[in-house]
Amino acid sequence: MITLKSVVKKYSSDSIGLNGIDLHVESGEFVSIVGQSGTGKTTMVKLLIAEEKATSGIIEIGGWDITKIARADVPLLRRQIGVIFQDFKLLPKKTVSENVAFALEVAGEKRNRIKQVVPRVLDIVGLSHKIDRYPHQLSGGEQQRVAMARSLVHRPKILLADEPTGNLDSINTQEIIDILKKINEFGTTIILVTHNREVVNQLKRRVVTLHDGRVISDEDNGKYRL
Amino acid sequence: MIAGFFRIVKFSFQEIFRNMSLSIMTVLILILMLLSINTLIIVKVLTDESITAVKNQIDVSIYFNPEATEDEITEIRDYVSAFPEVEQENFLDRDQVFEEFKKNYFDNDDVLSSLNELVDNPLGPTLIIKTRDPKDYEKIIKALTVPEYENIIEAKTFGDTQTAINKIHAITTNVQKFSYFLTILFAIIAFIIIFNTIRVAIYTQRAEIGIKRLVGATSWFIRGPYLIESLLFSLTSVGVIYFLMNFLLKFLDPYVSVVFQKTDLLSLYFSQNIWMILGTEFAIVFLLTIISSGLAMRRYLRT
Repeated sequence: MITLKSVVKKYSSDSIGLNGIDLHVESGEFVSIVGQSGTGKTTMVKLLIAEEKATSGIIEIGGWDITKIARADVPLLRRQIGVIFQDFKLLPKKTVSENVAFALEVAGEKRNRIKQVVPRVLDIVGLSHKIDRYPHQLSGGEQQRVAMARSLVHRPKILLADEPTGNLDSINTQEIIDILKKINEFGTTIILVTHNREVVNQLKRRVVTLHDGRVISDEDNGKYRL
Repeated sequence: MIAGFFRIVKFSFQEIFRNMSLSIMTVLILILMLLSINTLIIVKVLTDESITAVKNQIDVSIYFNPEATEDEITEIRDYVSAFPEVEQENFLDRDQVFEEFKKNYFDNDDVLSSLNELVDNPLGPTLIIKTRDPKDYEKIIKALTVPEYENIIEAKTFGDTQTAINKIHAITTNVQKFSYFLTILFAIIAFIIIFNTIRVAIYTQRAEIGIKRLVGATSWFIRGPYLIESLLFSLTSVGVIYFLMNFLLKFLDPYVSVVFQKTDLLSLYFSQNIWMILGTEFAIVFLLTIISSGLAMRRYLRT
């Protein structure tokens, strides 16, 4: 599903984000990427959504070599990957349902289908009663659930979660992790970037540890070891 | 494609209403800019009218010898009329000249009593010429200053009016230069103001642009609402300026008519050129907003 071969990302001669990463993620896996701040976790996410380009190496997603992806193809790639972030990245002037619907609207989905799908996805994340609220009227946990609904609404095969629980308390963290597990059970590949020890240890799934832009450990049923 | 277009239109209306204060601010800036342009047009109309009024005061008179024959006079009149520079020529025969002369000196008893002592009318016919531009008088006068006409033409008033003509010419040229300078200055100021207003508006939405990119929106899907917004802002500002100008011109016209003895001078000019003026202003505002938003947005659309 996802393959990184000798991927290097250099910002300058003395600033290296990733330094020769080799990683393969199978379809349906739940992989946690852990590491201290500045070890290249977010750089990896940015490369996977083509927000940045690798200096060298090859990145393939579902057999599509995105290493040198054309700018015009970036939106197509992003419509196939769900992404959630620590700061939620919701459109502040759109309601909950509009935020979720937007991901479908940009992809050219039909109105009727959007009307059917959006409430269903919001129901999955437990927000069907708040569809007309604006992001600033929601708690952090609720905002993250909206972001999850938006990332899932076009049924992506891959969901990238970059520190999704970084701004949340333990109760909301647990809710988000439970939803991620549920999504994974439906067959979506999950890449969870985090430095939350408890979350990683509780998951008991594959853990890839990064240090100085390199993979220093890659274990199934792994634990947070830093 | 059509669904995408309607979505873009829907988003642009959402943006306008949900960023109401910013939308109102942008339209206000556009209205102020258009008001400046229209003020400039009013100044130009008034300047042109003043110049025309002054030019109309100037003419060149050709005084014929009283003994000049009808054929000779006709030949010269035809010759003068053939010049494209000549806008109007007015011929006064001997009797008319005599009457005019008496009118001009009605309060001068010495002149009138001298005239009464004369048996014959001592004045020859006069040809009053008006050219399209004061600088053309010199050409006409030169053309008439030839040996063949020496005995037919007694005098020309060119010498008396040359200084005035030169002055008017200099004033006209300088006023026009100043007007161009003012127009360019206004255009630069307007561009800077609009560019910065739009840039600030887009800067406040840079995070949103990034988010839209993140969920897979194409550049055109992001740019589209701004284009529609630009169109709506331009239409609104031009519409508002149309009504504002109507009120302003109705207020100004009575004052203008006192000076130029013409009623509804400004209203008439604007109503005769309304499509050209509004069309040009709309095109300028729309282009400016599109260029400004395009330039301002470019950097946020890169990732």
